Amino acid sequence: MTKKTTLNADNLRAGYSMQEIVKSVSCSFTAGTFTGIIGPNGSGKTTLLRAFSRVLPSSGILELDGKPVAGFTPAELGMALGFVPQDEARPFSYTVMQVVLMARYARTSRFASLTPADYARCNAVLEETGIVHLKDQSIRALSGGEWQRVLIARALAQDTKVLLLDEPTSHLDLSHQSDALALMKGLAGTGSTIIGVFHDLNLAALYCDRLIMIKDGTLVADGTPAEVLTPEKIREVYGAEVVTARHPATGRTFLMPLSSRSCKTPARQGAPLRVLVVSGGGSGADLLHLLAGRGYDLSAGILATTDTDYGVAQALGIPSIPILPFSQITAHSLEKLRGMVARADRIILPAHPVSAGNLPVLFVLRETGAAKVIVHLPEGREFASYDFAKGVAAAAMTDLCSAGASCTSTYDGILAFLEQSDNNIPPQSE
Amino acid sequence: MTRTIPLILGLAIAAVATIVLCTFIGPAGFGFVSTAPGAADIVGGIRLPRVLAAFFVGAGLAVAGAAMQSLFRNPMADPYILGTSSGGALGASLAIVFLGGFFIPIFAWIGAVVAILIVWSIAGRKGVISVETLLLTGIAVSFFFSAIVSFLIAIAGQNVHQILFWLMGGFWNASPTDAMLAAAILIPAGALLFFMGRDLNALSLGEETAAHLGIDATRARWTVLGASTLLVAGAVSIAGSIGFIGLVTPHIVRMLAGPDNRVVIPASILAGGIILVIADTLARTFFSDLPVGIITAFIGAPFFIWLIYQRGSTV
Repeated sequence: MTKKTTLNADNLRAGYSMQEIVKSVSCSFTAGTFTGIIGPNGSGKTTLLRAFSRVLPSSGILELDGKPVAGFTPAELGMALGFVPQDEARPFSYTVMQVVLMARYARTSRFASLTPADYARCNAVLEETGIVHLKDQSIRALSGGEWQRVLIARALAQDTKVLLLDEPTSHLDLSHQSDALALMKGLAGTGSTIIGVFHDLNLAALYCDRLIMIKDGTLVADGTPAEVLTPEKIREVYGAEVVTARHPATGRTFLMPLSSRSCKTPARQGAPLRVLVVSGGGSGADLLHLLAGRGYDLSAGILATTDTDYGVAQALGIPSIPILPFSQITAHSLEKLRGMVARADRIILPAHPVSAGNLPVLFVLRETGAAKVIVHLPEGREFASYDFAKGVAAAAMTDLCSAGASCTSTYDGILAFLEQSDNNIPPQSE
Repeated sequence: MTRTIPLILGLAIAAVATIVLCTFIGPAGFGFVSTAPGAADIVGGIRLPRVLAAFFVGAGLAVAGAAMQSLFRNPMADPYILGTSSGGALGASLAIVFLGGFFIPIFAWIGAVVAILIVWSIAGRKGVISVETLLLTGIAVSFFFSAIVSFLIAIAGQNVHQILFWLMGGFWNASPTDAMLAAAILIPAGALLFFMGRDLNALSLGEETAAHLGIDATRARWTVLGASTLLVAGAVSIAGSIGFIGLVTPHIVRMLAGPDNRVVIPASILAGGIILVIADTLARTFFSDLPVGIITAFIGAPFFIWLIYQRGSTV
């Protein structure tokens, strides 16, 4: 079954007096779908939406139900297409009901009164949006979120096949966000065409069937949320580092931002610096996240699969040497660690609990040139507090420092160590 | 809605009562039945046209103010404050100086249109219009036009008195023709604005909102601007610049009946007429025919300041 195309744009261009914001966008929307328009600030999302609703003049083809939008009378358009703005000025104290009733103007002659059916429809919409208790309140007395729900209710009361939403949930709290979007999704389920501009990508991924990604007024991706929201596309369009995962409760794609990539990363021979983080017990999680955002070529050491650090390394796609929890470190794992240590330009050792079990790791570090190692010991802590090997571990850590390893109590200290010029990097041991 | 019909009905009765009462009040004598010689001439020939002219002018200014407030999405808009009245006064002055007093209403209208177009293009194009921008633009336009009027006075010679009359605002010479001219503008323009009540409601939330609700926003805007400038120009041609009726009246009406323009427009017509007739009766009876513009300013200006002070709570 092919779904009916409602809104169709072909080579659509729109903008303001001196500047073209939407540059040749072609896309069509079918009945029964909820489409999200996403893109960075200033990419032209809202401009595109306003071109769709005809409040902004556009060139190119724009059709609604197969007919050119330009040919609709204002009233016909008001019955075919609803619009939820981000916000709207409230200079006069209309009641909520008066504002929602304005949705019925397009259907009523200026010489006739609104009918009981109009009032019934508006009451039903107030029920649906959960604001029936505000019915007789002055709109000037409403909170931003309540007002946004009134604007949604008014657009619903227009009873249009197509609904355009400009960040419809920007002022709403968590529960009202999901209420409003579930309502929209339900409308799409009954055959409406819903098109919304979204700032919150996860919200868009959660509710939209389809996402359209805009950059500099052109369409750069179009598909299901899983197809559009890839770390590569997000990096290209938003310039941000993210990781994607499946939402545990819905199975839908969701994004988690990493630290900004804006800082320059020191590169060695063109390639990013190879950094090994030898951690455990969650001591490396923040560090891995921080460094991944800065574009270092990371590896993690030997980690138990139940360790927080292991989960973080997995999520960030950082190689590590997994072992079963509470098991002895095998010779094979230690050999792999030696390889990692040899390949690394820099090694970070955040202080973490060391017992007889993971003591061999420290020995591996000690035998391979301590000069490229930096130890992170939080302010006010001593090596002894991490020692669960009767003093041997603390001694090994102290040895490491006296053998030439740097020592810092802050992440800034670690970053400074990583950003030292190439000249200071000791020759790699073979 | 339930309060609407009693309100309009009450105002209509009050309007008729005011017109009748004020026709029989004046410095020449009080009382409904007078046997004094010349009483019929004073009542029918002088007072009645004056009272009717004041009523229609007040109604026109009030409804123009109500419409402009919705159009500018700002309850502080008023023909006097936005410079529309000074535009009208300039047009009238030009007609007096250069055309010997012919075509005053037409020139007053052209002046009013020019003034409102300037204010609109600076302050009203899109988005939210801040009170500050609106008032400053109106003041600037007012000052500029008043400067030209002052220049005209300086070079006018024997027409000086006639121009000064416009500036002060009054109904001294109101003739039956004046009353009919005011009615001839008020009836069609008022009816037009009344049937545009919904358009005005939608426009008062923004032109884009109006368009999204199925209103022909551009046509509505020009129609409202055309009708309100016509009303202001008619008022200025008959009585000069009378301020604050267009600001105060819609405010009082909204306090009583809410902001729905389907009520505000007819209620402002009636209330504006009543207020100006009472003000003019006070002026001619107790203040030896003081220009009524002085009385409306005495009451209106403090009211305006109080509104600015109150803004944000309930408007």
